[in-house]
Amino acid sequence: MQASKYIPTLLDHLIWVILVVVFVFFVFQSPVFLTSTNITNILTAAAVLGILVVGQTFVLITGNFDLSSESTLGVTALFGMFLIVPATPPYWGGGIMLNPYLAIITILLTGALIGYVVGFLITVGKMNNFIVTLAMLLILRGLMMAFTQGKPISGLNFEPADVYFWLGHEALFEIPDVARIPLAVVATAAVFGVGHIILNHRRFGRELYAIGGNRNAAIASGIDADRRIRQVYVMSGVLAALAGWMLAGRVGSIQVNLGDGYIFTVMAAAVIGGISLQGGRGTMLGALGGVLLLSTIDRGLNLMRVSVFWVKVIQGLIIMLAMFIDAQRVRYRTPHAKASVPSAAETSNKTA
Amino acid sequence: MDDAVSTPVVDMVDIVKVFPGVRALDSVSFSVKSGQIHALLGKNGAGKSTLMHVLTGLYTPDSGSIRIRGTQYENLNTARAKEAGIALVAQHAKFVPGLSIAENVYSGMLPVGQFGFVDWKKMKRDASDRLGQFDIDIDVTRLMEETTVAERQMIEIARALFADASVIILDEPTAPLPKHDVAKLFEFVRRQRERGASFIYISHYLEEIFEVADHVTVMRNGTVAGSSPVKDITQPELIRLISGADVERYKREGSSIGGAVLEVKGLTRPGAYSEVNLTFHGGEVVGLTGLEGSGPGELARGLFGLETLGEGKVTLNSVPYRHGSPIAALQQGLAYLPRDRHGLGIIGIRSVRDNVSLSVLERLEPLFGLINSAKEKKLVQDYIDVLGIKTPSMSTAVENLSGGNQQKVVVAKLAATEPKMLILDEPTQGVDVQAKVELLRIVDDLSKRGVAVAVVSDELSELMDICDRIVVFYRGTIIREFRKDRDKITTAILLAAIEGETVETINAGV
Repeated sequence: MQASKYIPTLLDHLIWVILVVVFVFFVFQSPVFLTSTNITNILTAAAVLGILVVGQTFVLITGNFDLSSESTLGVTALFGMFLIVPATPPYWGGGIMLNPYLAIITILLTGALIGYVVGFLITVGKMNNFIVTLAMLLILRGLMMAFTQGKPISGLNFEPADVYFWLGHEALFEIPDVARIPLAVVATAAVFGVGHIILNHRRFGRELYAIGGNRNAAIASGIDADRRIRQVYVMSGVLAALAGWMLAGRVGSIQVNLGDGYIFTVMAAAVIGGISLQGGRGTMLGALGGVLLLSTIDRGLNLMRVSVFWVKVIQGLIIMLAMFIDAQRVRYRTPHAKASVPSAAETSNKTA
Repeated sequence: MDDAVSTPVVDMVDIVKVFPGVRALDSVSFSVKSGQIHALLGKNGAGKSTLMHVLTGLYTPDSGSIRIRGTQYENLNTARAKEAGIALVAQHAKFVPGLSIAENVYSGMLPVGQFGFVDWKKMKRDASDRLGQFDIDIDVTRLMEETTVAERQMIEIARALFADASVIILDEPTAPLPKHDVAKLFEFVRRQRERGASFIYISHYLEEIFEVADHVTVMRNGTVAGSSPVKDITQPELIRLISGADVERYKREGSSIGGAVLEVKGLTRPGAYSEVNLTFHGGEVVGLTGLEGSGPGELARGLFGLETLGEGKVTLNSVPYRHGSPIAALQQGLAYLPRDRHGLGIIGIRSVRDNVSLSVLERLEPLFGLINSAKEKKLVQDYIDVLGIKTPSMSTAVENLSGGNQQKVVVAKLAATEPKMLILDEPTQGVDVQAKVELLRIVDDLSKRGVAVAVVSDELSELMDICDRIVVFYRGTIIREFRKDRDKITTAILLAAIEGETVETINAGV
């Protein structure tokens, strides 16, 4: 009876326990796992994913989904490169040769616009968020393919593009062969930090929790839920563009499938990190834990030379495990889960 | 016949059902005999519908036994209850409106002829015959949507009887019916009773009970307050059983009524209320009451912006009132406590702190847009102390509190906005007796601090205890207004007004 009191708390922080266990497991499995290069690799891989997860977390907390963010990432990364590089081979850009700084601002605004359109369709158009963002996922990916005819846009060896690669490429601090702190990792940490402050210490964040927890009650408490939902989609769009900019710097040449399939990992990381798909629950810190766990597992399996096919299977199993944990969390949090639904119906039923 | 009458078809013994914070059914025993029309009465939240949900298998009781037609049911679910012969006829029967009556009667078991096609002719003939057996003479090719509500209810009852139902629950059947259809429905129900069907009859209209029922059971606060043959009981006795005059009560003493805060002139919303003229003063508590759907609830939700307000003139502190959204309402100082606490009041999964400070976060953000956590904690703690909210801590999720404490959290959230006008819609619904008393004290305190308070409720004894004025709505218009300092107010007088009796008939009766 007493022990069960701690189960919800344990479930909330389970992510960090699992992370430590998994980490130690890989340390014993691979001699190179506990090297600074490897840790840097894990964190670098976690950087792009992490930024997408922060955006997704805001959306999920309101009880909505944003499936389109991986396509937004791809489209904005490509669009930025298109604006900067010449039209001639081997670049295949737009030939506008825009100032890279302006290009960066442009793609962040593009991300915002995509988010606004999605948010507008959902709140004003009263369309289902899952379907709208799924459609947007397809539309943006399709546009990318149609636009480039499948050819990659490259910025390699084109000097002005270096500015565009800066975020994903440079290190804040580096001692060759000893330690390296990539700028992307620092930027992602900062985004998580700001995200945490917004969620916990700003009115905006509190209102998101309220909307996800009980949208109608939030509205009756004087919250403009529709406006807030549009805002979180804009944030998710901007952060997807930021992630796109970061990823562009890492790869240098942008393929039409950039970011393809990311959304599954994003959702898995958020849910494993304790963000409830029903909305209203979860913390930025937990989401960070989810991101680190998935990146660690990915890297560890890689080092253990697990076949790529089995990696997919394992990722699928991890997502299932995450859903299982989410279900348990809901069950333990609401000890009367079965009864609480009818009791709500009871009070609303005036002819009782 | 006498033997048949004495056999219980439904026998529920010591049924207990607990919801978080509320003991909805506390050892309730209830039995219905064969061929009986058994009325089930009680206020909202008394436990009637919970009991019926247990009987229809929707809720599983925490303890107690259920026998239907002599068979003991341990794990009753909706399918088994239906098989056992329990049928529920809701106020608005569930039909496919775009299909014919015949198709609706046959839904799920359409007769199939040669080649696997539906045999429409047979269906029409049979449907007509079947309804005829129950003295329903109707053209079965008509569309369901063209029928009257009374016809639909009769068809629904007949359909249940075809499916071998032996006990039919009628949940407020007459509320949506015009007078002459009520008589028709009663005649129909009586005829089916003579054929051996039993009915459980739920209604708020007392005179109907004397007209149609054989036996009456009254529920109050999750228990049976009394049960008796209808011929052995009088209307005042029933009212006493329903309202439970002997429970602990809170009496508001003295009040100093200030200037007008909210003024409503000629307000009309078709289908909800018409020509409403009301003035609410600072420091005054005004009760708004009437039958379900007669106007007060609609007016409250309209003023707060959850529903349209309609046409008319509304001023708040002599300034034209901007209506249309809760945001605008709260900005102008009009706060509303919703009757649907779970749907509109609390955010159950969030903490007490998050709920209480939700509407005033703007005020708590002084530096860099960050919430001043110390200030917030103080605000929340103050309300926990002043309102006596019983919670392990301010970080406890509200859904883990009892109904009464959940309601206090909502009141705290509203009070924190420092409203000029506070509208409470059924504030004591679904909370226990002790919490009721405390909630009324809180309402009294708020009004003494100068807030204009309106209480929408059908808890008449509570309105009498707390209100300076009680305004009675009937079918969307204000039919009577009682002032505590001027008029004699009793439950009977209020009930009569609620049922639409005018001043003249009341005076004639008293």
